[in-house]
Amino acid sequence: MSWTEDQTLVCITQDGTVYRYNIHAEPIEPNSQLSLGADCLTHSVVECIFWVNGVACINEAFQVYCIPDFNNPKPIKLADTGLEDFPLCTAVIEPQYTMSWNVEVLMSVADHVLLVEEDGVQQVGLGIGPLQKMVVSQNGKLLAAFTHDDRLLVVSTDFSSIIFDYTFEKSALPPEQLAWCGLDSVLLYWDDKLLMVGPGDPVSYFYDEPVLLIPECDGVRILSNMSMEFLHRVPDSTVSIFQIGSTLPAALLYDALDHFDRRSAKADENLRLIRSSLPEAVEACIDAARHEFDVSLQWTLLRAANFGQAFCSHFQRDRIQEMCKTLRVLNAVRHPDIGIPLSIQQYKLLTPAVLIARLINAHRHLLALQISEYLGMNQEVVVMHWTCTKITASAAIPDATLLEMLLDKLKICKGISYAAVAAHADKNGRRKLAAMLVEHEPRSSKQVPLLLSIGEEDTALMKATESGDTDLVYLVLFHIWQKKPALEFFGTIQVRPLARDLFVNYARHYKHEFLKDFFLSTGQLQDVAFLLWKESWELSKNSMASKGSPLHGPRIKLIEKSQHLFAETKEYVFESKAAEEHAKLLRMQHELEVTTKQAIFVDSSISDTIRTCIVLGNHRAAAKVKTEFKVSEKSLVLAQSFLLWSTIRDWGCLWRSYRPFVEACVDADEKGEVLKYIPKLTDPRERSEAYARVGMAKEAADAASQAKDNELLGRLKQTFAQNAAASSIFDTLRDRLSFPSVS
Amino acid sequence: MAQVPNLDNAPINLKSLRDQSLKELITILKNIRGKKCLVIDPKLGGSLSLIVQSSLLKEHGAELRHLNAEPVQTDCTKVVYLVRAQLELMKFICSHIHNDISKGIQREYFVYFVPRRAVVCEKILEEEKVHHLLTIGEYPLYLIPLDEDVLSFELDVAHKEYLVDGDTTSLWHIAKALHKLEFSFGVIPNVRAKGKASVRVADILNRMQLEEPVNTSEMGVPEINTIILLDREVDMITPMCSQLTYEGLLDEFLGINNGAVELDASIMGVQQEGKKIKVPLNSSDKLFKEIRDQNFEVVVQVLRQKATSMKQDYSEMQTTTQTVSELKDFVKKLNSLPEMTRHINLAQHLTTFTSKPSFLGRLDMEQTLVEAESYDICFEYIEEMIHKQEPLINVLRLLVLFSITNSGLPKKNFDYLRRELLHSYGFEHIATLNNLEKSGLLKKQETKSNWITIKRALQLIVEDIDTANPNDISYVFSGYAPLSIRLVQHAIRSGWRPIEEILKLLPGPHSDIKRGGFSSSPSLDTLNGSLHGSDKVVDGRRSLVLVVFIGGVTSAEISALRFLSGQEGMAYDIIVATTNIINGSTLTETFVEKLG
Repeated sequence: MSWTEDQTLVCITQDGTVYRYNIHAEPIEPNSQLSLGADCLTHSVVECIFWVNGVACINEAFQVYCIPDFNNPKPIKLADTGLEDFPLCTAVIEPQYTMSWNVEVLMSVADHVLLVEEDGVQQVGLGIGPLQKMVVSQNGKLLAAFTHDDRLLVVSTDFSSIIFDYTFEKSALPPEQLAWCGLDSVLLYWDDKLLMVGPGDPVSYFYDEPVLLIPECDGVRILSNMSMEFLHRVPDSTVSIFQIGSTLPAALLYDALDHFDRRSAKADENLRLIRSSLPEAVEACIDAARHEFDVSLQWTLLRAANFGQAFCSHFQRDRIQEMCKTLRVLNAVRHPDIGIPLSIQQYKLLTPAVLIARLINAHRHLLALQISEYLGMNQEVVVMHWTCTKITASAAIPDATLLEMLLDKLKICKGISYAAVAAHADKNGRRKLAAMLVEHEPRSSKQVPLLLSIGEEDTALMKATESGDTDLVYLVLFHIWQKKPALEFFGTIQVRPLARDLFVNYARHYKHEFLKDFFLSTGQLQDVAFLLWKESWELSKNSMASKGSPLHGPRIKLIEKSQHLFAETKEYVFESKAAEEHAKLLRMQHELEVTTKQAIFVDSSISDTIRTCIVLGNHRAAAKVKTEFKVSEKSLVLAQSFLLWSTIRDWGCLWRSYRPFVEACVDADEKGEVLKYIPKLTDPRERSEAYARVGMAKEAADAASQAKDNELLGRLKQTFAQNAAASSIFDTLRDRLSFPSVS
Repeated sequence: MAQVPNLDNAPINLKSLRDQSLKELITILKNIRGKKCLVIDPKLGGSLSLIVQSSLLKEHGAELRHLNAEPVQTDCTKVVYLVRAQLELMKFICSHIHNDISKGIQREYFVYFVPRRAVVCEKILEEEKVHHLLTIGEYPLYLIPLDEDVLSFELDVAHKEYLVDGDTTSLWHIAKALHKLEFSFGVIPNVRAKGKASVRVADILNRMQLEEPVNTSEMGVPEINTIILLDREVDMITPMCSQLTYEGLLDEFLGINNGAVELDASIMGVQQEGKKIKVPLNSSDKLFKEIRDQNFEVVVQVLRQKATSMKQDYSEMQTTTQTVSELKDFVKKLNSLPEMTRHINLAQHLTTFTSKPSFLGRLDMEQTLVEAESYDICFEYIEEMIHKQEPLINVLRLLVLFSITNSGLPKKNFDYLRRELLHSYGFEHIATLNNLEKSGLLKKQETKSNWITIKRALQLIVEDIDTANPNDISYVFSGYAPLSIRLVQHAIRSGWRPIEEILKLLPGPHSDIKRGGFSSSPSLDTLNGSLHGSDKVVDGRRSLVLVVFIGGVTSAEISALRFLSGQEGMAYDIIVATTNIINGSTLTETFVEKLG
């Protein structure tokens, strides 16, 4: 049973089941229980060695299991030790300190130590043992061990060198507990005696009652039935000031303050004495203050530092300020009501963020909030945790009241996620409260999904539309689509234009039939008609190979159907007529294909159909198409104008003017063709312009003079002048540039 | 010269924007280890060519393919799709995967959506039962710099989607892109919008600022002072007219895509039969920067002048003895020779189009249509075009112009022209007509036209223009000042208020919002474009106006804006952001939909 870094209580039972609880004794979800493995059911767990974030267990069969990281609790089995007897003692080197980043378990067997890893066992430290007790230091580099011949050894964890060897004079039993105190001394505990061995002489303490040693990064907590003590080596700075008779600068500075307070001139004298080493003295005072637990001493020390600082020219003043801040935080949490007696080093190691996390876990929200505000940290975590806890805890408070309370606190943090709070409320079965909370969420991308999950589809759709984010609208759309029957779905989206348009857009691509249903249900018959009309073309694509086959029947039927649908609404008379004509055209084209046995008519336009007829020499058919669709002569002439003369002559009855024909030839650059026809133009002005357009200046001028039109003549002259210039410009330019290329 | 434009002279740091996009793309490629086949949807591929050279992608182990219906042929076991979130593209991906499955080919699939995942696309992937096979990611590319002063959202069909389908995805996209810009350059304090879509974008932009605020205190003075949003719908006249600037004409006749024009190698004087080459067109080309915005008439003269002076230098070089420094100067001039040849070739190619009588005839007709004083002539001309079966797009361009200048056509004419159009081009075009009608581009006349009022009030028709030394934006259309740019001109000079009456005659609402805590910086209203404005000079740079066109902008309009920005007494630099660069034809094409 042990605590982990993030204050989870881990318990391991004999059968290898691991239970985890938070500090409110509530099991942690998910999988609050897990098992080390089936082997542990048969061979029960005998020993567990915990470290801050993991555990190693040994069972009766001498197999070693370990969970290297409780944040990701996956038990692994280490290599078989091959032991037959229980090891004398065991220790663990944490993954973060080993070379392989894997757990290493040390077992003292006979006169050596076994190093057990996930994929192998190794004998180390031959001849060192047998070791009765061993423990690894906080930084994983050193191992303290008590040997069978009453020696205390400190060796490096790779057993390459013995760093310290202390022999106990009186033969002693191996100590009950062995613990590192900081990084440079080791505590040994027997029955009632605690011995501290380190640099300098060993120190003994005596206890009347049994105690438990809990190593920390900078010392050891000593827990007895009645009290908790913290033992650590006195820092050098403290020694330098408070050692009796110390004349070190720091001590003198401290003394100077004392004199100063008493308005004694000795203060000045002291300062003079240490002038050169004043900065160090100030530094020492600050350092001593930071290690001090006693508030009034802290205060005095800091005042001393401040006093000294006034006489230093170059000193980073904010150091003192910084220290005051930190100490205030520490003093706050050390207060008996809170009961987190942290030393400064522990605090630094823990980081303020973790401290705050621990505080809110302990439901000390106010203090956590104050500290995070004081240290300028983000208060969101605290407020968020508070609101969630509040919601969970206040099942009896009516929604409106609770909402007000929550909002009051939530507004402390700008940009806090109301949606997350609302999600929590919903999880706690307070849907209405959730709905009220989500109303306050400014980010639609968070708001909308939540609204959906609490069943507020209409609001969700409204908010999504307001946000202008079509992706959100689609999200809501598909959600409703899935949940509601089609008709109801149609009704919902029909009143929201954006949603409707997006749905139509999607459906156009993938749900054709469904779209038709939609249009029918909402009475948009013309849209159905368009769809049908479109389908008629798709039919023709599928039957590419079988042109002129009866498949045109269904096509025409579809088009006629759409014609009738168009006719239902007044505004679509034009479309209805067009559909009717289209159907008629298709029929005629179909007939034409049958009679001519050529599949070239279907899906060409009316003009094209007539032209094809003429080309084929089928004038009767052409005339029929013409009358059927009331094609005007004007349009016919223009459309046919580029056909060969011979064809047109036959069609001559309709021919009134050659002009469009000439124009078409000019545009098509058929100079030879056009020259044949220009003389046939009756109006000399037209003739003149036509000549001008093909660049025949002389003929144009002749025709113009024939027409006796001076204005025209003048205009012609101008055009030609411009044209000639324009066309010759670039030729000349090119010539000029044709000297040897540079590149 | 590369197609990726040089952005060093941009008024704001566009290069960092582009570098960011490039970095994100490379990260995506890096995160997929080993060789992979990168399948890009073709439209997106074009956009990417403005950011990255394909060789760089290949360096990161990517084989490049274009996404189409054909299954992907590759040996790579990893296929990475980089696609826009478009429904029809999903079909391709699904069919590719189904094809692989049926052939028993095992591959890893990655789909990266640009600019972000879309529920609707994933829904399709789910329904086709391929969703679980895919790793899905995003490539947040919202905005691409086309040139020093032009940004594109790369939304080609936004205009049609919004007007016809009612799909507002693009509006969100635009707002998001602008919001991202604000993260780099500060919250833009003045927002002016005209048109339904623009007002909506301004609205969404405000919401985004509420939801995810740009920290105003950290940014200092915003680099962009004003944003002017304009719907294409407000001015559909301008794009339908033929552009007469050099760049505009290039686009009209040859089609500029992603800052490059593709044409036969022979035109550029390269003797490779039938081969196509790409000619990049952007401001990195000094000569092009000089002439792109000028009226084509002038460009011809400028080129001739330059050629003549060079010829002169050359002949001097042969005859007289030169000092070293003179030689140096000459060599320097020679460096510009490739640019000279390039543009002379292009310009000559253009004249083959511009000298055609049919083109001149069309220009005349456009002028007549815009003047809107001879209804019958216009009607007959269009009728004749339909009967002659001239290219549908050309017909539709004039038809739209005709309809808008008259606020729609009288029912009889409307039905007649539509019927003739169907007879001539086929009934499948009923869908095109329906699209145009839905978007209001071609409609039945219901109210009296107010075009003449607008035209007069904003002085859109300008007589006596000097194209060589223009004093008004109307030079870009040889006498017609684009309505859109006139509006911008007024908005910059004095805000909407003085022209409110005119704005009411144009489609859509307008809005004018001030944002952020920048009460200290005077709004444009009080500034009056004068040189004495207090916020004009921020560390020696002029403050910026961002003009956003929702639904596209033509090159000629950009030219007109550049002209405005270069005018004396103008207190602002102008940059343009647009859904895409359009011309009348590409714009009209988006509305063409054949049923068949």
